[in-house]
Amino acid sequence: MTAHRVGIPVLLTTAALVLAGCAGTNSSSGASPAAAASASSPETSAAGPSGSAVGTPAGQRIEVTVAGGQVSGHTGRVPVAAGVRVTLVVSSDVADEIHVHGYDLTTAVAPSRPAELSFDATIPGVFEVELHEAGTVLLALQVE
Amino acid sequence: MTLLAHGVGSRTDLPIPLGLALYGAGAAILISFAVLLLFWRTPRLGGPSSGRPLPTGLQRVLDSPVFRRSAQAVALGVAALVVAAALVGPADAARNLAPWALYVTFWVGLVPASLLLGPVWRVANPLRLLHRGLQMLGLRVVVRSAPGAPRLAALGVWPAVPSLLVFLWLELVFPARAEPTTVALLLLGYAAVHLALALWFGEGWFARGDGFEVYSTLIARLSPWGRRDDGRLVLRSPLANASAAPVEPGLAAVVVVLLGSTAFDGLSRTVFWQTGPGAANDTLSGTLGLLVMIALVGGLYVVGARLSGRLAGRPRDVQARRYAGTVVPIVVGYTVAHYFSLLTLDGQTTWVLASNPFGLAGVDLFGTYGNTVDLTAVGPDAIALVQVGAVVVGHVLGVTLAHERALLSARRARASDQLPLVVVMVAFTVGGLGLLFGF
Repeated sequence: MTAHRVGIPVLLTTAALVLAGCAGTNSSSGASPAAAASASSPETSAAGPSGSAVGTPAGQRIEVTVAGGQVSGHTGRVPVAAGVRVTLVVSSDVADEIHVHGYDLTTAVAPSRPAELSFDATIPGVFEVELHEAGTVLLALQVE
Repeated sequence: MTLLAHGVGSRTDLPIPLGLALYGAGAAILISFAVLLLFWRTPRLGGPSSGRPLPTGLQRVLDSPVFRRSAQAVALGVAALVVAAALVGPADAARNLAPWALYVTFWVGLVPASLLLGPVWRVANPLRLLHRGLQMLGLRVVVRSAPGAPRLAALGVWPAVPSLLVFLWLELVFPARAEPTTVALLLLGYAAVHLALALWFGEGWFARGDGFEVYSTLIARLSPWGRRDDGRLVLRSPLANASAAPVEPGLAAVVVVLLGSTAFDGLSRTVFWQTGPGAANDTLSGTLGLLVMIALVGGLYVVGARLSGRLAGRPRDVQARRYAGTVVPIVVGYTVAHYFSLLTLDGQTTWVLASNPFGLAGVDLFGTYGNTVDLTAVGPDAIALVQVGAVVVGHVLGVTLAHERALLSARRARASDQLPLVVVMVAFTVGGLGLLFGF
């Protein structure tokens, strides 16, 4: 009987784990990442490859340029402190959609219209930013 | 078109802190030598006849065909739903149930399920039910003869190696892995191939050739549930269970493929890989990376096992097979370290999407379809602790099992004979921590 008794807590624990994994967060009860973000496409934006990602008290500005399939600017692994407001500016010579994984933010980009995305880096982890159609990885945000 | 990054998932883990990596590595090395020098000097984990039997009534239920066919029928229903969702559900991989259900909930979830409950997929494998169905549908001529059956035992678990390699390549390398169509073709193709092989080799094929079943059974060696040599289901310490598990041909290859592929998955997340050998991010670099990591792990393991055998004066060609089971805890530790956060964070997606598997307007079966995944449910500190803890615990259990195995082979085994294998295990662990640290 001892054996049986040990088996039941194991089953219950598993059930609890499974149930705990079920829910996700109810989007109506908390601010979803998207709600905290704003997306815009300013007509005038000089987003070129220039030095390192700029960190100011107001936030961190990350700029990348896509030309001929090549990505330049703040590419690779870009460290960001958790909680900082990130402004991501992408210029591209082809029309596409920018996708920030994890934060699940998207915005359109076109040759004449650089994309600008602002959001608070509230989720820790490493998140890729990619061109949705082309599948090109622009950079990976390392929020810690 | 959405390609989910590195396998599946919207995020990857932060590099573990350097201090934690060093503490973990130091602990692994210290404990290894403590095991060799201070632990028991005669075998004491309990053999195949050890364990506390379950009540006969319970065993009768668990072993009954009705119980097994029911579990298989449920699994078949879920699998059919996943294939249907893959074929006619939302085309966007991020909103389709199938990739999440297969790569995260099933493949990763098989690890905790098998650790806690034993070889669950051997019990619930829906292909076994389909195989029975085919028998009843008039294929009796072929099935009854099962011409390959006599040869199966000699193959051990070798047939599972290609099965696992194909799945792991699709999961970790194939660029369109997350596309719902890929998932549907993979599941249907997997079923067709293994049913055909089972008709040739008999139902015994599934225990030896079905990668999912072999994986579940391998991990279940570290569960508290075992089968005693007299057939009784027993409860015993996971170490005794692992120590008593049979030594089969091909076991070393299965272990090496699993460890090497997890190591490749870790490697592919590092800046070193993404800006160096894997910068092209294409099929060729991924395939080569996967094969090189498997070869590296295999080479190290075989050298370590053979050197240890040579010092102890054992025939060298059986060494790799004899000690393969002792590497299983290291495989499980690696796997937990790499996929714990995927299951707990991105794994929520499966439950959200299951509420509306076909993406139909107005359908919300469990009221969870509007939920968003909470990627902060487990914090980065907790994830790092689980990662280092899993790797170090896996290492300690592996070294302990190898020590016991050496004493079983020769009662007066010298501790120094075990040194080469222990050094290789330390290399796996330090290498694994290095991958988590991200170099």
